[in-house]
Amino acid sequence: MTRSHPSLWRRFLQSIPLQAAAIGLLASSVAALSWTAAPSLLATLDWSIYDFWTTYRPMQPPDQSIVIVTRDPAAEELFGSGTWDRAVLAGFVMAAHEAGAAAIGLDHQLSRASPAQRGGPASDALFEEAIRTVPALILATAKADAPLLFDMARVGHLAVQADPDRVVRSLPASAVTETAGPFAIVLYQTSQGATAPITTGSNVLIHYTGDGTLKALPTLDASAVWGAIEQRDAERLSQWFGGKAVVFAVDPAGPDVALLPTGQSAPPLVVHLHALAMLLSAGSLTASSTAVRVVLTLALTGSMAALLLSRKRAAGLISATGVLLLYLPSAVGALAWFHLVVPIATPVFGGLLVLIGTTVWTHLTTHQRVRLMEQDMLRLQQEASAVREALVLHETRTETLQDDLAAARGAAAESAGQQEALVRTAEQLRLQLAGVQSEEEEARSRLAELERQLHSLRAAAMEPVVLGDAELERLQDECRRLGIISQDPALLTLYRDLKKGARAPLTVLLLGEPGTGKELFARAVHRLSPRSDKTFIAVNMAAISPDLFESELFGHTKGGFTGATSDRRGYFELADHGTIFLDEIGDLRLDHQSKLLRVLQEKSFYRVGATRPTTVDVRIVAATNRDLQRGVSEGWFREDLYFRLTGLVFRLPPLRERTGDIPLLAAAFLTDIARQLGRPMPSLSNDAVQALTSHEWRGNVRELRHCLEQAVALTDGLLIGKDSLRLDRGAATGLGRGKGTPLLPEPAGDAAVLACLRRHAFDMQATARALCWDRSTVTQRLKGLCFQALVESDGDHAKAALVIAGDPSHQRVVELKLMDYHGHLLSVIEPYASADEALAGCKRRFKNLADRHFAHVETLVRRYFASRAEGGRGAS
Amino acid sequence: MRQPGLGPCVLLGAMLIAACPSLAQQAEEPGTPAEDSSPEHENLAPPPVPALEEQVLPDLLPEEQPDPILLLGELRGAVRSAPDRVDERFKLAQTLYQLGDLDAALDECRAALALAPETARGHVQLGVLLMAKQDWRSAGAAMKEAVRLDPELAQAHYALGTIHYSLGNSKAAIEAYRRAIDLHPDFPDARYRLALVLKVTNQYQEAARLMEEAAEGGVGQAQYFIGNAYRQGQGVSKDLARTIYWWTRASQFGQVRAEEALSHLRRQALTRDEHDRRRGEARDAFRRYREGLWELYPGTGRPDTDASLGVTLLAEGRADEAVPILLAEAYALSGPAHEAVARLYEHGEDGRVQPFDPRLRRYLETMASDGSVPAKKAAARMYGLGLGVSRDPQKAKAFLKGLPKQEVTAVLDEISASSRNP
Repeated sequence: MTRSHPSLWRRFLQSIPLQAAAIGLLASSVAALSWTAAPSLLATLDWSIYDFWTTYRPMQPPDQSIVIVTRDPAAEELFGSGTWDRAVLAGFVMAAHEAGAAAIGLDHQLSRASPAQRGGPASDALFEEAIRTVPALILATAKADAPLLFDMARVGHLAVQADPDRVVRSLPASAVTETAGPFAIVLYQTSQGATAPITTGSNVLIHYTGDGTLKALPTLDASAVWGAIEQRDAERLSQWFGGKAVVFAVDPAGPDVALLPTGQSAPPLVVHLHALAMLLSAGSLTASSTAVRVVLTLALTGSMAALLLSRKRAAGLISATGVLLLYLPSAVGALAWFHLVVPIATPVFGGLLVLIGTTVWTHLTTHQRVRLMEQDMLRLQQEASAVREALVLHETRTETLQDDLAAARGAAAESAGQQEALVRTAEQLRLQLAGVQSEEEEARSRLAELERQLHSLRAAAMEPVVLGDAELERLQDECRRLGIISQDPALLTLYRDLKKGARAPLTVLLLGEPGTGKELFARAVHRLSPRSDKTFIAVNMAAISPDLFESELFGHTKGGFTGATSDRRGYFELADHGTIFLDEIGDLRLDHQSKLLRVLQEKSFYRVGATRPTTVDVRIVAATNRDLQRGVSEGWFREDLYFRLTGLVFRLPPLRERTGDIPLLAAAFLTDIARQLGRPMPSLSNDAVQALTSHEWRGNVRELRHCLEQAVALTDGLLIGKDSLRLDRGAATGLGRGKGTPLLPEPAGDAAVLACLRRHAFDMQATARALCWDRSTVTQRLKGLCFQALVESDGDHAKAALVIAGDPSHQRVVELKLMDYHGHLLSVIEPYASADEALAGCKRRFKNLADRHFAHVETLVRRYFASRAEGGRGAS
Repeated sequence: MRQPGLGPCVLLGAMLIAACPSLAQQAEEPGTPAEDSSPEHENLAPPPVPALEEQVLPDLLPEEQPDPILLLGELRGAVRSAPDRVDERFKLAQTLYQLGDLDAALDECRAALALAPETARGHVQLGVLLMAKQDWRSAGAAMKEAVRLDPELAQAHYALGTIHYSLGNSKAAIEAYRRAIDLHPDFPDARYRLALVLKVTNQYQEAARLMEEAAEGGVGQAQYFIGNAYRQGQGVSKDLARTIYWWTRASQFGQVRAEEALSHLRRQALTRDEHDRRRGEARDAFRRYREGLWELYPGTGRPDTDASLGVTLLAEGRADEAVPILLAEAYALSGPAHEAVARLYEHGEDGRVQPFDPRLRRYLETMASDGSVPAKKAAARMYGLGLGVSRDPQKAKAFLKGLPKQEVTAVLDEISASSRNP
């Protein structure tokens, strides 16, 4: 899938909202599905706040618009302990009706005829007349579809909605039919004079009064009511029942008992009575609809996932947990103030799943994201490099055109006759110049955009650099155990990333200048990997004889070649199940590169002379101080091998970028050297430390150690001074430390200009802005320096470019410029027959060059003509 | 095996009466001439007291029963001395039933039936005992056995109707009651029961017809229900005057619900809200009821439309007939009748009507509580002056509470004067 839709996968991995939405949706779905596994537990959790609130909220006085007549011992003495005679019930109903009750509810099952001992048909007939006389009479039936003795009776069923944890919190709307709705709702509608059919969209959530039992509601004893009826005490009956919803709960309690959220239990009738009291007092609760539940759950889980993905680990965890914890008091508030019951179980469970799942997801995809980021960086670097090259060409072309224009103008001034033609030429040149300048501007803006992207990518990649002190100390200790001495946060962060990457089976590429500790880090990768108890083989690719390359790396069989007197295992076999460190991989020949690529791809190779392949399981760690990317672009390094090696890429900083480590390293080296020499450990004077710190250290840590070894050997005392270090003063001072070049003379201003050029990556315009010069002035200065470097490097473009660039990363740019300058020079002098004539022409064309630089031009010109003359003699 | 004689039949009759409340009630009611019990729908005469002989089957009439305890001893002795005597065992079972020992009664009945299993009435007796035990299925089986042995046994069909209804089988109950009526057409209680079952199964017209027949037969509850039917127009045309007629008859049989219903109707008629539609309807109904009373005495001259039949009869010296008529008219809100009753209560009528007659006192108190102002004043006088009752001025004042001052001043003055000169 990732292969077939790499762009989709890349886009998904790079989009936090998409990942958050997916994780939220997945967690919500799992949380919703978990209801099928543990419905009771989740129902209890889901309603926990409602249950808690119902149980512990302040007691409210019962609503006085409802009165419930209940059985009492005295009434049972009168009418028996079983079901009462329907004639008695009719008497109650008629009395309540005449007393002005708004609605009358009667808990009585009207499914069967009265037996003879309970009045028989006479009582049934009286009851039928009561039903006919009192339209506001609602009978409670156990079920909505229970049979009725009299079809004109209005009934309400006593069905209740038990949640999976068996607690009754609502009345079922699903049991509403055309003829019978929930008893509480039918009675409520009757008391309100509503004649519309019962329509309830969802289950009716009950707001229980008190502890949810019958005692919490206003009740009257049936015997007292009967006494008033017999005494014809209309005033008292009217006081009791007038305008109220009256319910006669006089049937013996049935076997059905509902478990209430308060922990009490009560018959279904009582549940309906509480619902009725709730409706009459307009204190209804609202349960969240399915849509609201889904939205809330997705919002909570999605926001938590987004926080976890977008913030750093601890901050994300804290903020996501905070959101989850904030949800609970919000739910309490919604219930207490808005009477809205929001879901708990699914969002909270989904939130917990998000906490776990997002952490797991982050771990699982870290390597992929790093890899994608590296690929992006590589792509951008390549693009930037290409654009930079184009820019150099444009700049150079511009400068050349400017020179040509100046020359043309000069010629025009000299020759009036040729003026017109020359003006046309000048005009054409001006147009070309404008076009080239426009392209240059375009390239420049493109470069700026690419660099901005690269910068943001690097910033994203470097985001975890910020480490706490404790973390730094811990990493420092770990590094020290692995022989890496540093307190530099950048290097420690690199170590931390390397430690994480070491656990994965990815190929590791270590980049860095010589002496930056590539092998040390390669060993660290091995020791931190699951292969730490296996073999670590370090191979210097530059040191292997090209003829023995295959034999050394892959081994040979007896008789595989002349001199192969026995079977021999190669480095790859020796490193089987372990790690092989391929140092100086950039120095590998192209044919060897292809052989190595095969091993990396297939994990198998043929020993020299073998007919069957040997398969190995080897972790590859490669290192080089060369620019492999440039090698790819220049063709001396295979691109496929390059991508195969760049599983995890770490660039080890040069010592000059972590000068804070120099005193630490110096102390460690001095201790080690003294121990080796059997001498007491010397110490460094302050100025020595200062000098060490300010030195460029092109050989990095290795050079530092050699310097200290030399100093210890040449110093008799225990204090090593600045002079004992024998550091090159010129290299340590001057403009742009580390960027000076011993090959170059140091006339006034050249070093400053060169340093400025290096600081601005040889961007002429930026350098000119920084120096407040004209760009052409900077160009002329660089051109002169390039000619000087060419002279001093005997025409070796690469060497000269490196001298000017100072940093290998700028070498390519400088080389391009240098080649162009030199090419231009050659194009100018080529038409001339002699060096002197050419020099005269050059005087005109390079008139803005400083004299000291023109001297180098002269040297180059004379060398050119000398070589041309030699070439001519050779040909003749 | 000996066959049972008349004894079990008589006992069975007594048990059926005990099992059927209306029959038991009727047995306690005073009798009225038999000719009054014939159906006369247009006749709104005062309620005739039904003759007991017409309410139950002749062979179910109870005999004069000796003391049950003494009888029990005798019967136990007789059964011990002659265990095979079926009659004695049935009698013993009946006595035990009367004393409430149902299990022992069942044992004896079963023992008797074991001796004479083909005795239909014995099975009826067993069925009745089982009905008392609320063992409806066993009772039904016993009754069906009785019917098998004697298909003409109306009592068995009647009891089967009750059993079927108790078991929830209204259709079978109707059939059983119809069969009982077919076998014994002069069986008002069966008609009443059948009418009830028809009523609760929405067969109102036939129910009303049978109910009225039962009411004519003297079944008090039927009179109440047919009154209700006329009030609600259930199976008959609405006729509030006939409602008053039947409720009045039922109340004279001690039907409390009928009394309460009448009282309620009187309150409606006596309400002070002149715009109340029900007030006018009730007053008109009472007037038509009073006019209907004149038709009972076609030969009696009616001086004017407001004249009281009772006063006329009293004037003619027919005091025995006049008092019930006067009371009926007075209960039906007749002013002249009320004045006559109040006068009769205080003074009597030439020895034929004694002063302070309890029937008249009850009338005054009832009407006073129903809101009749003249009755309130008369009752206040009665208690204020101690006329036939202990003198109780507080109670007298309570009767006058709420009345306009000008109306009660004379009565209060009289009571005050009486208290000053006892």
